[in-house]
Amino acid sequence: MDKDFAARRRRDLIIAAALAAIAALTPLFVKDVVVQNILILTLMYAGLSQSWNILSGYCGQISLGHALYFGLGAYTTELLFTKFGVLPWFGMLAGGVVSALIAMGLGYPFFRLRGHYFVIATIVIAEIGLLLFHNWEWAGAAMGITIPIRGDSWLKFQFLRTKLPYFYFALALCCLAWFVTWWLENSKWGFWWRAVKDNPDAAESLGVDVFNSKMGAAAVSAFLVAVGGSFYAQFVSYIDPESVMGFQFSLLMALPAVLGGIGTLWGPVLGAAILIPLTELTRFKFGGSGRGVDLIVYGTLIVLISLALPRGLLSLFSRPKKTGATR
Amino acid sequence: MGLLYGLIAVGLALIFGLMDVTNFAHGEFLMIAMYLSFFLFAFFAIDPLLSAPLVAAALFIFGAVIYLLIVRFAMRAKANAGMVQIFTTFGLAIVMRGLAQYFFTPDYRSIPQSWLGGKTISIAGIFLPEPQLVGALVSIAAFAALYFFIHRTDFGRALEATREDPGAVALVGIDKNRVFAFGWGLGAALVGLAGAIMASFFYIYPDVGASFALIAYVTVALGGFGSVFGAFAGGIIVGLVEATTALVLPPALKSVGIYAVYLLVVFIRPRGLFGSI
Amino acid sequence: MTITRRDVLLGATATAALVPLAARAQTSEVVIGVIYPFSGGSAQQGVDAQKAYETALEVINKDTDFDLPLAKGEGLPGLGGAKVRLVFADHQADPQKGRAEAERLITQEKVSAIIGTYQSAVAVTVSQICERYQVPFVSADNSSPSLHRRGLKYYFRAAPHDEMYSAAMFDFFDAMKKKGTKIETLSLFHEDTIFGTDSGNAQAKIAGERGYKIVTDIKYRANSPSLSAEVQQLKSANADVLMPSSYTTDGILLVKTMAELGYKPNAIVAQDAGFSEKALYDAVGDKLEGVISRGTFSLDLAQKRPMVGKINDMFKAKSGKDFNDLTSRQFMGLIILADAISRAKSTDGEKIRDALAATDIPGEQTIMPWKRVKFDEMGQNNDADPVLLQYIGGKFVTIFPPQAAIAEAVWPMK
Repeated sequence: MDKDFAARRRRDLIIAAALAAIAALTPLFVKDVVVQNILILTLMYAGLSQSWNILSGYCGQISLGHALYFGLGAYTTELLFTKFGVLPWFGMLAGGVVSALIAMGLGYPFFRLRGHYFVIATIVIAEIGLLLFHNWEWAGAAMGITIPIRGDSWLKFQFLRTKLPYFYFALALCCLAWFVTWWLENSKWGFWWRAVKDNPDAAESLGVDVFNSKMGAAAVSAFLVAVGGSFYAQFVSYIDPESVMGFQFSLLMALPAVLGGIGTLWGPVLGAAILIPLTELTRFKFGGSGRGVDLIVYGTLIVLISLALPRGLLSLFSRPKKTGATR
Repeated sequence: MGLLYGLIAVGLALIFGLMDVTNFAHGEFLMIAMYLSFFLFAFFAIDPLLSAPLVAAALFIFGAVIYLLIVRFAMRAKANAGMVQIFTTFGLAIVMRGLAQYFFTPDYRSIPQSWLGGKTISIAGIFLPEPQLVGALVSIAAFAALYFFIHRTDFGRALEATREDPGAVALVGIDKNRVFAFGWGLGAALVGLAGAIMASFFYIYPDVGASFALIAYVTVALGGFGSVFGAFAGGIIVGLVEATTALVLPPALKSVGIYAVYLLVVFIRPRGLFGSI
Repeated sequence: MTITRRDVLLGATATAALVPLAARAQTSEVVIGVIYPFSGGSAQQGVDAQKAYETALEVINKDTDFDLPLAKGEGLPGLGGAKVRLVFADHQADPQKGRAEAERLITQEKVSAIIGTYQSAVAVTVSQICERYQVPFVSADNSSPSLHRRGLKYYFRAAPHDEMYSAAMFDFFDAMKKKGTKIETLSLFHEDTIFGTDSGNAQAKIAGERGYKIVTDIKYRANSPSLSAEVQQLKSANADVLMPSSYTTDGILLVKTMAELGYKPNAIVAQDAGFSEKALYDAVGDKLEGVISRGTFSLDLAQKRPMVGKINDMFKAKSGKDFNDLTSRQFMGLIILADAISRAKSTDGEKIRDALAATDIPGEQTIMPWKRVKFDEMGQNNDADPVLLQYIGGKFVTIFPPQAAIAEAVWPMK
């Protein structure tokens, strides 16, 4: 079994490297900014969903409040930049650290909760964050923050027309989140999480430090999501509370992982690769009608996929292995 | 207002709380009920108060059908059951909003004149708006009925037993799907009641459910899953907290008070005030 | 030049026959992007806007005899009669989506200019993208003053912004005070979005300057499920004037809650938005007799300028509604933009920009009560005089400023 496992992990790493290489070359062929835009969003959501997956998929603590960390990342970066002139690169790091700390601070009381109580607590805490930022004058309140445009600059991580730097950053973020997940899967934490998810009480009695392993998952997950948030802020160059901390982000981070396969290494990537282009295309195609057709199409697809493939799309590929176990 | 939140939450308390099925489309059920009662008014001039039983009956069928067509399959999922339920019902909510926009147009609608709308009873300087008053009465009645229903009838016991151990129930010869379809129907009917009363004083548009849904979830969780009385108490607390927060904090932050109270309660009692699950 | 034909049918056939002959190698079509929310909470505004733009399109592309730029003759004369085509895109009230849609319209649909957006937050990102691609953006109906102050070269707004509106309200209060009406205290009531915050701030600032006392300043959460706590506070403050800045949903709820709690202020002077929507008056019009709203448009202008009524009929045939403050601005926005493109004789962004900057349309050639359309160096038209309208007997009557007024204000409201 160990041999098998090691082989699978090596194979995963090689596939990932190959995919990343292919992705890195796409801008050579794809010059259309609209397609590039979709690619960037896809990579970003893949990365976000991958990070969300660490806490919610692997550790089993379903959070629908990750928009809080996304927004904190965006706001920390831009507040530091516009108010104190701190370069976004440092702001990004700061945002990640702030989010990780807050995630751990919240984890302390939150991880006592189970099931729906936990899910609702995560929704509610993100909603509180949203309301506070909405009313925080110094942080721009509802007006949001417009990032001053000073022309192309790697230092300030802003580019007027070219999207390539954003593309490569999103790719890097996605790879980082994937790699962290890959690495954690086989670490002490990874084993603990699986134990915690399967049966928390048993895990504890076996000497797994349930609480600390959850804290670790929350911190890593929040850090990565915050980096994503700060990237998003630089990319869009305007943030307001609703557009970086709204509930829809919590869902959009969870959806790719759920559709692709929650708690799996490849689920979020696969889910994002299908979901995000689909969202954009339905809007292009039906969005101008004003009759909600895009919503109907989008919603129906979510219902169908969740019903037909509860383990996510990934289960289509691994059928020979898993069928015996599940049915 | 608290009892009105309670009324919206009571249907959810049944579906979410007693059957342990996550329903993210609850707000959209409310929206459908409001539209229904609007159209009954617009085309047949039936006052929302009169049409409430009709709307409730229609929603009963709607809820049962949704269960049989969709939710049944979501519950069957062996893996990630929680997530499948969340996202199936979430997708359903999006579809329902889209359909509402398609058929009813996104126009804001509202029932201009109704028996309840805009009338107020003033007792010793305290104004009690009639819709809220009737809402409160209906809400108390609905809770009492549900409480009686769950704890005193065979069906109520069957429902609870089915949630706890579907396998064992099947052995006794109870059809799980029939029990749950009835439960969903009942839950939806209660939302229907809430929707009809809401329609007499609230505006109606495809996204209207969203503003109420989160408060309804919080209300149910605050009271504790599995407890009808809990949802009732939750509703009252939410109403009171909202009113008092608005006095202390800027009104834009009044929901923060509700959320904070929820967090506080579950930190002290991780299963809500009266929860059993 | 063009002979106006009464017989539209005959005229249309005749020109249709001539067009192929006249068609030169030049641009035969000019594409303009229109970005609005077509789904979600404010989808209705998007759908209404679509109808307004289609009405404007008809005036531009078909031969009509209104005294408006481009009305006579077909298409854009500066581009050999080229027709305008609109491409609609949905931003779902999300700044990121607005940005993506603007970019798509510019690069894929090859639009020459963009017009939009209803939500100010989306206008921020859309105008940034337009600036980057050097494509003009006409902000038809955004009223946040911060928008034009960013110093963008390609940003234009023909309509007034919230500070101009608020100033007009206080001019009106000053005038009423001179006549002996008691106006000392004000209650502000605004939502927590860009629109509400901007409007509230502007009103607070001007009130301070002119010596009015603000007794309550309530910021509330947009789309609240309940406003009873807020209304309770308004009621106990009981100011001379209540000044709400709310969209339709909250507007309806506010009025209903006020009736339920028995609060009746002496006057309501509203910052447009929801208070110019038909839906609001359908819902609670009976409780709003005498409410005053600011606006840039008023239908009674038709008494002085008959074409306003005719164009309104065209719009009504499409949408089933009268022009309101938003739809009239949208209509006018597209006319002004198309006129500039025609004068630029080009679809090049920079040339259109220069033509827009050189715009000078006298007020009589608009459907608005404006002095004229002329942009300052920030792209703002400072001659767009706002008006105050009062809702009396089921319709709006202009009561201020005096030169546009057709009736005296009823104060206090019923």
